[in-house]
Amino acid sequence: MAANAPVAEAGAAKPASAAHKPAGRTPAPQSNFAPWKDPAKQPIVRFENVTKRFGDFIAIKNCSLDIYEREFFALLGPSGCGKSTLLRMLAGFEKPTEGRIIVGGKDITDLAPYERTDVNMMFQSYALFPHMSVEKNIGFGLRQDGMAKADIDVRVAEAMALLELEKFAARKPHQLSGGQQQRVALARAIAKKPRIMLLDEPLGALDKRLRQQAQFELMRIQETTGTTFIIVTHDQEEAMTVASRIAVMNHGELVHIATPGDIYEFPQSRYVAQFIGDVNVFEGKVTSIADGSVEIDWPAGGSSFTAAAVGGLSTGQQVWLAMRPEKVRISLSKPTAPCNTIPGKVIDVGYLGSISHYHVRVASGQTVTALRANSAQTVEQNIKWDDDVWLEWPYDAGMVLDK
Amino acid sequence: MNTRFSWFNVTSIVLGFAFLYIPILLLVIYSFNDSKLVTVWGGWSTKWYEGLLKNDALIDAAGVTVRVALVSATIATILGTLAAIVLIRLGRFRGRTLFSGLVFAPLVMPEVITGLSLLLLFVALGFDRGFWTVTIAHATFSMCFAAVVVQSRLLDFDKSVEEAAMDLGAPPLRTFMEVTLPIIAPAVISAWLLAFTLSLDDLVIASFTTGPGATTLPIKIYSQVRLGVTPEINAISTVMIAFVTVGVLLASYMTKRSSMLREREKRAVDAGAA
Repeated sequence: MAANAPVAEAGAAKPASAAHKPAGRTPAPQSNFAPWKDPAKQPIVRFENVTKRFGDFIAIKNCSLDIYEREFFALLGPSGCGKSTLLRMLAGFEKPTEGRIIVGGKDITDLAPYERTDVNMMFQSYALFPHMSVEKNIGFGLRQDGMAKADIDVRVAEAMALLELEKFAARKPHQLSGGQQQRVALARAIAKKPRIMLLDEPLGALDKRLRQQAQFELMRIQETTGTTFIIVTHDQEEAMTVASRIAVMNHGELVHIATPGDIYEFPQSRYVAQFIGDVNVFEGKVTSIADGSVEIDWPAGGSSFTAAAVGGLSTGQQVWLAMRPEKVRISLSKPTAPCNTIPGKVIDVGYLGSISHYHVRVASGQTVTALRANSAQTVEQNIKWDDDVWLEWPYDAGMVLDK
Repeated sequence: MNTRFSWFNVTSIVLGFAFLYIPILLLVIYSFNDSKLVTVWGGWSTKWYEGLLKNDALIDAAGVTVRVALVSATIATILGTLAAIVLIRLGRFRGRTLFSGLVFAPLVMPEVITGLSLLLLFVALGFDRGFWTVTIAHATFSMCFAAVVVQSRLLDFDKSVEEAAMDLGAPPLRTFMEVTLPIIAPAVISAWLLAFTLSLDDLVIASFTTGPGATTLPIKIYSQVRLGVTPEINAISTVMIAFVTVGVLLASYMTKRSSMLREREKRAVDAGAA
């Protein structure tokens, strides 16, 4: 999965631009970077039982969250789930109703935004100062700190070089394209050299192609500067691409916090499984649990499945078996290998070039999606509409979810 | 949309403008009348304008008017801007509806009432009526106009720009001075020009609150007209019309220019995103 090593990939994708600050580079591969697993490590950001209410509306419900130095942490969820509120509380624009926020061991819950020197934010609307040139925009935060003019010039030049903005130094924001404005906004926050960078839907206003470029750009800058990044996004692909860990939120609660790979492969609930990527879900009951595997009765389809057992299951319990489409194999003849199989009829074929989608109606009446990579130029088994097919997947490919 | 000229359109425009501007046009023309009789045309002349310069009473009144307008417009703009910021930025606070009602009431309040109540207030407080009472009275009634102008600009002001300034380390006052004020400056300037113009041509409130030595131009003109219209009055009125026209044009130009700039900015952003 590309999501497992995004930072390493970013470095490889843009070696030339990474040369701006060679000293700051840390070539530690992503797979070794897991400070959240190290009990001795102190988190740089800690939300402690934070609750936020706006009148009767509960925006954040008792959130506790640790974020570690150098992480690229993504807050992911649909709009209105409270992810932006959580970020704004960290920046100081909202005050928690209950709980504490600790940054670098210091309680900052009651500090005003301009007193939080460790934290800087990049806004969704970029919030550039329209009456100042690019240079003045980037230097604004440094001037607030009362830095000497010569030092400000050095830092501004550094930030502009990092984001390739030198050409635009004298321009006003309205003379820039959306992508350039986005880079100015990032440069303005990064120029303050915060320990923690907050990004509120930073790429939301860019088109898809530009957004993918900008994602790698963000990862490069995060790696170059060694800053902790916290990004808010509703785009699961974006979160998967950039983040070292993702917190999935729903209705003001943190539903699941894990690496992109774990969230995709081992979601803890149907909500997470369905929010991240596509998934087929079968509802059933546990009939037996035996050495590492579990039998699930699927009454709607008149059949049963075997799956790898997870902890905390009991016989008779209602569970959901979730299957990623790319793990479902589709064939015209009944498979002989020991695996879960169900028959069905193809109702739709979507050819996407590199892969094909098959929508298959099964006995329960639900539609199951299977993906097949078009690796051979001529497909040996040409599956068409209305074909009777067999779907199969290995016993350990399904995820048993109890909520 | 049909933008062609039809007879109906042309007729309504001609009639409408004639109704509004023929009296003013006549006044301007007769201010150049050589004859001493206002209603009899006696050829072109600028002698009434020369006469104006020698009429100390009128010049004094003009001086008072300009000073009153300068000071009251400044007070009204500061108070109006603050009121607009409170109304837009503080969200829903206790008494907000009452406050906004009180700010905007003078917009619809009959001037006679405003003038009379201010007069009663000044008498009750024992203020000597003169320059300052007129100035305060003018600031009071033009403040709401200034507030309306600034408020409409603040309504489409991206709040995150101010948040960004604070996030970058600027305390609230510095954020206001370095970020908010420069951005809303065109609206503040046009608010000032509007307040200035309103003060220039106010008669009712000024005549209630004025005292000896603080006769404004409109009061002076009014009292002279009661003795009969002279071409000199026509001349001074023409000068006032010129002033007010320039003020209003400037104010609307400032507003339009800044909204055009913002439009262009938005288009640039859209073009960049597309």
